[in-house]
Amino acid sequence: MAQKGDLLLQMKGVQKRFGGAIALRGTDLSIRAGEIHALLGENGAGKSTMLKILAGVHVNDGGTITLGGNAFTTGSPEAAIAQGIAVIYQEPSLFLDLTLAENVFIGRQPMKGAAIDWNKAQEEAARLFSELGVPLDPKRQARGLSIADQQVVEIAKALSMNANIILMDEPTAALSASEVERLMTVMKSLKAANKAVIFVSHRLDEVFAISDYITVMRDGATVSENSVSATDLQKVIKEMVGRELTELFPKTENKIGEIALEVSDLTNPAFFRNISFTVRRGEIVALAGLVGSGRSEVARAIFGIDKYTTGSVKVNGKVMAMGSPVEAMNQKIALVPEDRRQQGLFMIAGVDRNISMESFDRLKGKLFLNFKKERALTEIWREKLSIKYAAPTNPVESLSGGNQQKTVLAKWLATDPEILIVDEPTRGIDVGTKAEVHKLINAAAGEGKAVLMISSELPEVLGMADRIIVMREGHKVAELSRKEATQEKVIAAATTGSKGA
Amino acid sequence: MNFLSRLKPRSREGSLGIILVITVGVTGLINPRFLTGDGTRDLFTSTAVVALLAIGMAPIIIMRHIDLSVASTVGLTAWFIADLCAKHPDFTWVQCFIIGPMIGMVVGILNGLLVAGLRLPSLVVTLGTLYIVRGAVYVISNSVDYNAQEMPPSLLDLGQKVFFGIMPFTFLLVIFAMLVTAWFMKYRKAGRDCYAIGSNPHAADLVGIKVFRRTFLAYVFSGAMAGLAGVFYLMRFAQVDSTAFYGQELAVVAAAVIGGVTIAGGSGTTIGATIGALLVQTIQGGLAAIGVDAFWKSAINGFLLIVAIYADRTLARKSESALLAQRIKERA
Repeated sequence: MAQKGDLLLQMKGVQKRFGGAIALRGTDLSIRAGEIHALLGENGAGKSTMLKILAGVHVNDGGTITLGGNAFTTGSPEAAIAQGIAVIYQEPSLFLDLTLAENVFIGRQPMKGAAIDWNKAQEEAARLFSELGVPLDPKRQARGLSIADQQVVEIAKALSMNANIILMDEPTAALSASEVERLMTVMKSLKAANKAVIFVSHRLDEVFAISDYITVMRDGATVSENSVSATDLQKVIKEMVGRELTELFPKTENKIGEIALEVSDLTNPAFFRNISFTVRRGEIVALAGLVGSGRSEVARAIFGIDKYTTGSVKVNGKVMAMGSPVEAMNQKIALVPEDRRQQGLFMIAGVDRNISMESFDRLKGKLFLNFKKERALTEIWREKLSIKYAAPTNPVESLSGGNQQKTVLAKWLATDPEILIVDEPTRGIDVGTKAEVHKLINAAAGEGKAVLMISSELPEVLGMADRIIVMREGHKVAELSRKEATQEKVIAAATTGSKGA
Repeated sequence: MNFLSRLKPRSREGSLGIILVITVGVTGLINPRFLTGDGTRDLFTSTAVVALLAIGMAPIIIMRHIDLSVASTVGLTAWFIADLCAKHPDFTWVQCFIIGPMIGMVVGILNGLLVAGLRLPSLVVTLGTLYIVRGAVYVISNSVDYNAQEMPPSLLDLGQKVFFGIMPFTFLLVIFAMLVTAWFMKYRKAGRDCYAIGSNPHAADLVGIKVFRRTFLAYVFSGAMAGLAGVFYLMRFAQVDSTAFYGQELAVVAAAVIGGVTIAGGSGTTIGATIGALLVQTIQGGLAAIGVDAFWKSAINGFLLIVAIYADRTLARKSESALLAQRIKERA
């Protein structure tokens, strides 16, 4: 058993190339037992590559990795697991058809004679879940589990294989505030058990709240490794982007115009009740609240993806037909969805095709798509949004997360909407790109578009919005102007429903 | 109502069993001979080949793959064994039972190397081997047919052997294979790996499951079962030509799917697959008994398949929304 402070893992000058592209040009990392180590960097800095080398998915081309004094055997996930490394990926990789107990013990099921001892597996899993403070039913199927609970299963799996080093890739990206708190408690208990936790996150406030050490990467190399007390937010951001970020939330004062979108008494009993609000031209209205409070569902109902039982949606004073995204697009509404991979993009199609997707009518000749116009459109948005790609026909899955998000934005901005709905526009993208996305949203409002923004990140909500509507468990619990909104008021409303604080 | 809800089957196989019993009952009403010992024996005899193939294919479908080459493999094995027996009059059933699965395994190894080794899509690979193997039978057989007189009497006797008046030897072996495979799939790590691979192939790689080995061996197993099914074919028909069992692969897939082996992978059992095969055969028998013509038999089979898939989706959707509701309740 490792003692607190023992050097568990050391990476020195690790390199990795994919074909001609250099992902890692020399990264160093040292991890000690009983510490929480944050790995920071912009998208494309090489964090994921590094995690994947440790996970055994990729093999490094150069440099040395030592694990508890011995050379680390790379090359297969099995080998990594055998050496005490457990990885919790950003998108949990559970087997949805199998029970939770089985997911925890897959490949390592307890045996009784020649047969798997299912009772023991279930008991053990139940014990691990309660140790983690989340009493899930081990006999339950993994299908339908929330992301947070899926992570708990992954952590239980890591504990059950007695891993010394637990890697987490953006564990909090899809969690609500209370779930993040729960995860942090778990991380602290892992730390207390002298395990090492390495985690990647873009939420810097969390990073500073929980980590002991912070390693910053940029362009495939380590920039700095500091204990958390020896660095600060400004310094870390500067190291990550390689320049000073003057403003993360470049709020501009826009001319507020007529009411563009009016939602009254919108109700779908399964998700939300009696939601009313307006968005004016040039205004950014934020829908705040915890994950699962019904915000995305309201956006989906407005855009016509889901139906609602009562209430109405008015665009420029006229009632819009329910349940038709085509009608919503005719009314010049655009919805940039939360899950860009599943709902926002055609991952294997080219950047150009993705951007032009909703604008085919304008790009069409008599019969066929005019590829010249498509190319021109792509070029316009590449420049406006500074999307980085090698060739416009490259599939979007080859782009980094930030550039993917810009591509979705470009697709919808290209339709020249009057009402822009953005759902978690900066989830999982780095600070530099975040500031750019914020600038774009501001610019859209500046052009007189009405913007409805759903966000789980409070600084984003407070920094961007002219007005903030807070939802809790399907109800609108508060509406705050930019002036009266504070972090405390929004949190209080989102978690307890109280309006004062 | 309380009584009824207690009767409600708790597993997929339970509900299928009940559907099978009802179907057998209805068929018996139409044609009382169906419920006699002879009728039951006929049902088992005629189901044995398809059931054995469905048991062999279940692990493959559970892994989100498919094996379309099985019917051709049955044809190849049946002809090859008959040919060997004609040339070696001293052969008994023992040689047949050893050589049959071995011939099938050769096809299985080929499939396994292509699907697991080169990671080619199994639908295309096994469609290819379906044609290759059938083509090989045409060439090798050179239009030679074999009849009962060229086959070992011990083999044919075994084919006629019936226990308890209703249970033919072949179907007894089917039940044995079903139980062993079902146990293996539930209680051995390799079996659970199959479910994991079909449920989430990407994650299976990440948790270090030996995807190549499992997939490869599943194809070898399916090949062996197809080889044995070829021997069963001879035992039942005592006659073989190059078109033996032509085009029956989809009947096997249908039996497995009707038996609750999800085509999208991740769930199903060999017990379900066997019941599925019995169910298809019972309905076919029932339709024949009331004199329905071939077109309608085929059409009803297809209809049944679509109903099975629909039921599958509905159940999945229902349990998904139940799980979602449970989650919402847990949150509140």
